[in-house]
Parts: sequence; C-alpha cells; structure tokens
Amino acid sequence: MEYILHILILIGIYVILAESLNLIVGYTGLLSIAHAAFYGVGAYVAAIMALKVGSPFLLNTICAVVISGLLGGLVGIPSLRIKDHYFVIATFAFQIIAFSILNNWVSFTGGPMGLPGIPQPSIFGWVISSHIEFLLLVSVFATLTFWICQRIISSPFGRVLTAIREDEVFALAAGKNVALYKVAVFAIGSGMAAIAGALYAHYISFIDPTSFTVMESIFIISIVIIGGAGSLWGPIIGAVLLVILPEVLRFVGMPSSIAANMRQILYGGLLVAFMMWRPQGLIGKYGFKLEDTKK
Amino acid sequence: MSSWLEIDNLNKHFNGVKALVDFSCSLEKGKILGLVGPNGAGKTTLFNVLTGFIPSESGSISFCGIDLHNKPAHRIANLGVARTFQDLRLIRQITILENVLLSFRNQPGENLANTFFRASKTKKVEVENKDIACSVLEKAGLAEKINVLASDLSYGQQKLLSLVCCLVSEADLLLLDEPVAGIAPAMIEQILSILIDLPKQGRSVIIIEHNMEAVTQVCDHVIFMDAGEKICEGTPTEVHNDPRVIEAYLD
Amino acid sequence: MQILINILVTASHILLIATGFSLIFYTARFFHFAHGIIFVAGAYLAFFLSTWLNMPLAVSIILSIILCATIGCLIELAIYRPLRKKKSSELIFLLVSLGIYIILQNIISMVFGDSTKILRPNSVTEGIAVLGSRITPIQLTSIFVSLTLIGILVLFLNRTKIGICIRAVANDSDLANISGISSRKVFVWVFGIGSALAGLAGILVALDVDMTPAMGMNALMLGVVAVIVGGVNSLPGIALGALLLATAQHLGIWFIGSQWQDTIIFVILVLFLLFRPEGFFGKKIKSATV
Repeated sequence: MEYILHILILIGIYVILAESLNLIVGYTGLLSIAHAAFYGVGAYVAAIMALKVGSPFLLNTICAVVISGLLGGLVGIPSLRIKDHYFVIATFAFQIIAFSILNNWVSFTGGPMGLPGIPQPSIFGWVISSHIEFLLLVSVFATLTFWICQRIISSPFGRVLTAIREDEVFALAAGKNVALYKVAVFAIGSGMAAIAGALYAHYISFIDPTSFTVMESIFIISIVIIGGAGSLWGPIIGAVLLVILPEVLRFVGMPSSIAANMRQILYGGLLVAFMMWRPQGLIGKYGFKLEDTKK
Repeated sequence: MSSWLEIDNLNKHFNGVKALVDFSCSLEKGKILGLVGPNGAGKTTLFNVLTGFIPSESGSISFCGIDLHNKPAHRIANLGVARTFQDLRLIRQITILENVLLSFRNQPGENLANTFFRASKTKKVEVENKDIACSVLEKAGLAEKINVLASDLSYGQQKLLSLVCCLVSEADLLLLDEPVAGIAPAMIEQILSILIDLPKQGRSVIIIEHNMEAVTQVCDHVIFMDAGEKICEGTPTEVHNDPRVIEAYLD
Repeated sequence: MQILINILVTASHILLIATGFSLIFYTARFFHFAHGIIFVAGAYLAFFLSTWLNMPLAVSIILSIILCATIGCLIELAIYRPLRKKKSSELIFLLVSLGIYIILQNIISMVFGDSTKILRPNSVTEGIAVLGSRITPIQLTSIFVSLTLIGILVLFLNRTKIGICIRAVANDSDLANISGISSRKVFVWVFGIGSALAGLAGILVALDVDMTPAMGMNALMLGVVAVIVGGVNSLPGIALGALLLATAQHLGIWFIGSQWQDTIIFVILVLFLLFRPEGFFGKKIKSATV
C-alpha cells in the first residue's frame, strides 16, 4: 500500500513538472532541456530555507517559485536571439551550468553530499507525516498546477502562445510582443517546476544534485512528448505511463542491478519510437513537424 | 506639411542588391494606393520596412506624426497598421474564428494578470470580440466555416480570412500583399468589394498587385516601382499608359 | 610546458570528436547527439575485443573503428533516412538522437558496468621526457593522428569525388539530387566517416586516461562547443576552437580547480550562441526571412 502511495506521489510530482514544461514546449514551441534545473533550484531553495531559516513550507515554496521563475525568465531571454535547435543546445548548456553550480557550491548546497534531514512540511500547524497526507498535499498542488495551465491555455494569452509556436511573424504583425510572451512562459513554467522541487525535497527529505541532471530533463521532456505535447491531458497520461511502466518491469522479475538502466532504455526507446511514428505523442497537438511551423 | 503617411527617401540593400533606392511617397487618410511593378521591384521590401520587420539604412517614415524608424514590428502593428503577407501567413492549426480573435489589438486577456484577477472583465471583452468577429466573418461570407481549421479552407478563403484579420484589428492603414493573386474571380470580386468600402470608414490601404484590372478598380492612386525605385505615379490609367512603365515591362 | 602538452593532447581529442560531429552537422543539418555514444562505443568495443576476446590491441582498435562506422551507418539507414523521407524537422532528429544516445549508453552500462575501465597497451610506459615535461607515446600518437586525419579529411573533401559530393549535399541537398548526386549515399558516407572519427577519439581517450559509459555526454559537448566556437563549416576554425577549449579547460583546472570547467565551457558556448553563432570562421547562419 505504501508502495502504491509512493508511486502516486511520484506521478503527482511529474504531472506538475510535465504540465509546466508543456506550456513552454507544447504550447509555445520552445524545446527546452533545462527543466530539471528549475526543478532542482526549487528543491534546493525550499530545502535550504527549511534547514537554515526554518521558515514554513508554504513560504519556502513561494520563494522557490519566485527564484526559479526569475531564472526561467532569464533563460527565456536568449530564446529571442538564439533560434531552433541552437536554442535547445543553449538550454542544455544552462542545465549543465546549473548542475555544476549545485554540485560545486559546497558551502551553500552541500555539493555532491547534498542536503540531508529536510524536515516534514508543516502547513499552519498540520504536519505532513504520512504517505497519505503527502499524497493529499501533492494532489492539491498538481490540481492547482493543472488548473493554472488550463486557465492560461484557454485565455487570449494562451492563444498567442499557440500563434507564436506556429508563426511568430504572424503574431508580431498582429501586434503581439512575442519576446515578452516567451520570457513570461519560461518564467511561469520554471516557477511551477519549483513547486515540484519543493515537494520532492520534503518528500524524500534528502536531495543531491544527481536528481537534477540532463538525464532528468530528458525524462521530463519524454513525458511531455510521449503523453502528447500541446494538450492539457497529455502530460498527465505521459507521467502515469512513464512512472508506472518501469515499475511493471520490477514485477516481471528484472534484477534490480539493471532496473535503472532498463528504465532509461524504456523511455529512450519510447522517445525514438514516438518521434519516428507519432511525434505528437498519444494525444498531443504539436508534433515538432516542419508543417507545424512557419519561419 | 507632412501627410498622414509620409515615406521619405528610403534606402535598403541586401548583400549589394539595391532593394529600395531613395523611395518616397505619401498617403492620405481614406485613400487606396496601388503598388505595381515587376517581381523583385522592392514592393514587399517596402512593406517589410514599413511594418518594422526589416530596418532601412536611411530615410524616414512618419505615420500620423509618429516616426516609425527602428520601431519593433509589434509596436507598429499596435499603432494602427495591419498587413497581409505574400506567402499567406495564418495559424493553420486553429479555427478561423481563433485566427480572427488573435487579430484584435489590446485584448485584456493577453495580460495574464487580467485573466486571473479580472476574469469577468476579460470574459466580457472576449465575448464582445467574438461577436464582432462572427459578424465580420458573416459579412465576408465565411459564416459556416467559423469553427473550421484554417488549414481546411481553400486558398481564396484563406486570403479572405487574412483580410478579415486585418479588418478586426481596427487598423487605419492596411498593407495588403497580393490580396487577389491566384484566386477565383468570384472571390476576387468579394475581396475587392470589401476594399472599396474601406475609405468610407476612414481607412487607407496600400495594395501590392499584379492584377491591373483589380488595381484600376479600387485604387485612387498608383505607384510603379522597378529595381527599388519609384518610376512613376498617378491615376491607374496614367500609370498604365506611361511609356516608362511599358518599357519596364518589355525589358 | 607540461600544461602546454596537456592542452595539445586534450585539443587533439576534442578536435577528432568535433570534426566528426561537424561533418555530420554540416551535411545533415541537425545535432546528432548519438555521436557522443559512438565515442563511448569505440572505447568499449576495443575493450571488449582486446580484454574479453583477447585479440591484439591494434586489431581491436581497427575493428572497433570499423564497427563504429557501421553503427553510424546503421543509425542513418534505419532511423534518420526514414525521418528524412517524412521531412521531419531538425527538432525531431535531435530528440531521436537523444533517445538513441540514452538507449546505447544504458546498454553499454548494463553489459560492462559503470565502473571505470582502462584500455592499455601491454607495457605501461612512463612517458618520454620532452623539455622537462612528460608525454606518453599514446599522447604523442593522439596529436599526430588527429592532425593527420584532419589533413586527410580536408584533402578528401576537396579532391575526391565523394568528398565533393558531400560538400554539394551539405550546401543544398535538393540541388545536389537534381544534379545527379545521390544524397542518400552521401549521408551514409558522412555518418560512416563521422562515426569512425568519434570511435577513434573514444579509443584514444580511453588509452590515455580511462573510460566510463557516461563519458560520452561530456566529450560530445566539448566537441559541440568547439564546432560552434570555430564555425561549422570551417576545419581550421574547429581546430582553433578545440585549442581554445582545451586551453580554457586546463587553465581553469590550474587556477580555479577542476570543478568549474564545465561551467566555463558552457558559458563560452552561450556567449558565442548569443553574439557570434557562426563561430570564428564560419559563414553567417541565415536568419528568419519575412
């Protein structure tokens, strides 16, 4: 039972990560492999505040969101000058720089040793101590994230994002300040990723940089793509699929020594398969195709 | 005295090729100007410079007294300029209604703070815009296709749609790049009838066209361009009969 | 002086992987991330052949390079060619190659384990003394081989029929096709040569230092940065880029410790992408047209 709860909690965290990345990648068409960096920044900010300042969970999460959001906006700025796959490489670079900072700024982040002993979150006196309570907390935030994304997508702002994805020139000619939208969507997406980070930090109660690597970014983007970029439910389906499938392997008798490898082969393989035959994912609207965008 | 739209000595070249050479012209409110000339004459380049997509090397553009030089494209669009493109830009993955809704300027819902904190006001404007969009689409004859994806329209309907997008933007200056090229006569008539009405609304249009009949029908004034230069200007008939124009086409 | 030798050795490794990568990027016009795992595969195949199958090291190396070229061609034939037929965007290619990278890295990891392995010739030599510093025969070979191969590649691209076809396709593949050049054949050649270079680079690094399944990403990124800094279509530029990176890396280690080298390199990358995306010597990349 605890095991099932654990899986559900992980799904919840990845739903938040995937929905937020979907705003950037699926709706605005900006492929970013830096999402794990914002996830990590969120986790570290929340953890450091909880450990060193002792402030309450909600405040820490808000700070994590703000700092991550500002960084996200910063990463969005190069997207104005660097285009297409060069921009993907730039986000890649940013991800590696972020990891490097988390890993090497030992006095602040604990370096490779990480930050142990993160206390259980407490919200207005309610201490979240059991798996069930944590699942409740994660569900609330996941639902909130979903709701925010839904509001954004169905608003005129969201309409402009889709326009930018397909034809920036059209958007500019229609009077939209494309640069502002791009920076804004990056800020929002990264801010939300920080929520997932804060939740993760308090759930596992120990974080180290190895949870926030390029591989993790690729995993999150795989969730978005396989579930379906550019649709609201795609990231949820993707998260459920990619979190549960590797667990299924465990029941089929896969030795644990290679379980981690098989998990990665699984989503790597799915990524290749979907890109080759169904780039819009299971239920997505955006398939990164040439016909989908106009230069 | 500078007129409503004043273009003065515009120069632009690409890699040594002169696209615009000391190009000047002016336009009053409520007039339709035709821009004709062979391919590569610099007509689309003029549009791109006017709308802020390409910077000019020298010269000035003043619109309603505002200097457009170095202004970003979206800023110029918000000053009351709307345009279409030679290669027909639309957002094909969304419905035609959504394309039109995109084209409204100054939508409160485009500011996320409004979407979340002033939801009712945002909704109200969105509903109003929808009504306007539907009525314009109806007048244009696209009523049944309102929820059809833009990619599913015929070429002529797509051109009509891009014109509708310009109309709802409430722009006073419309720049239309080949609005009736490559479409059926019935659709040409429909588009031209919309264009002829625009001066009465106090709007001006500059159209680039190769279709001389259409130009003669709607334009008050025509400029003939070749190799980036203004060769001559006048009424459609004057330009049509100008020996320099005839010569340029014979070259 | 020692640091100069170190720089040259590292630069030679970077140059090899960067050249293979740029050949592919120049022709196929996308970021072939899987290049990085072929680098790793080169080392591990040589290891497998020499240590597990007990073949002579020289033979293992040659076979490994051939196998790497084959793997590269297989990826092109089985995956990239069908995608190209569908006119997939460069982003799709990039994502697919990431997927391939992940799959292959984990296969290597499963078969060989994650611990550090070494690839050594029979005798461990101390290194020849040169001007008060030491350079091992392997390191000398690296420098010599990389420079020679680059030279051969330049001649190949300019003097041989296939080489000229490659440059034609890189310039404009549709035009090349119309002119009777089989772009399909060219792509296979390009992936073959590029992958062979990557495999060789991996072997040289493994011989000089050591190898782990995860070393590919880092090596690849160094190659990518060298290409962007130097300019995609300019081999001298890439050589300069490789030199610059190796210098930045070793000076970085010397002055501020090895932890920040990644940061330095990637900051350099972002700066170039922002302000000089064509690199030192490359031609300006076309921007969006209206």
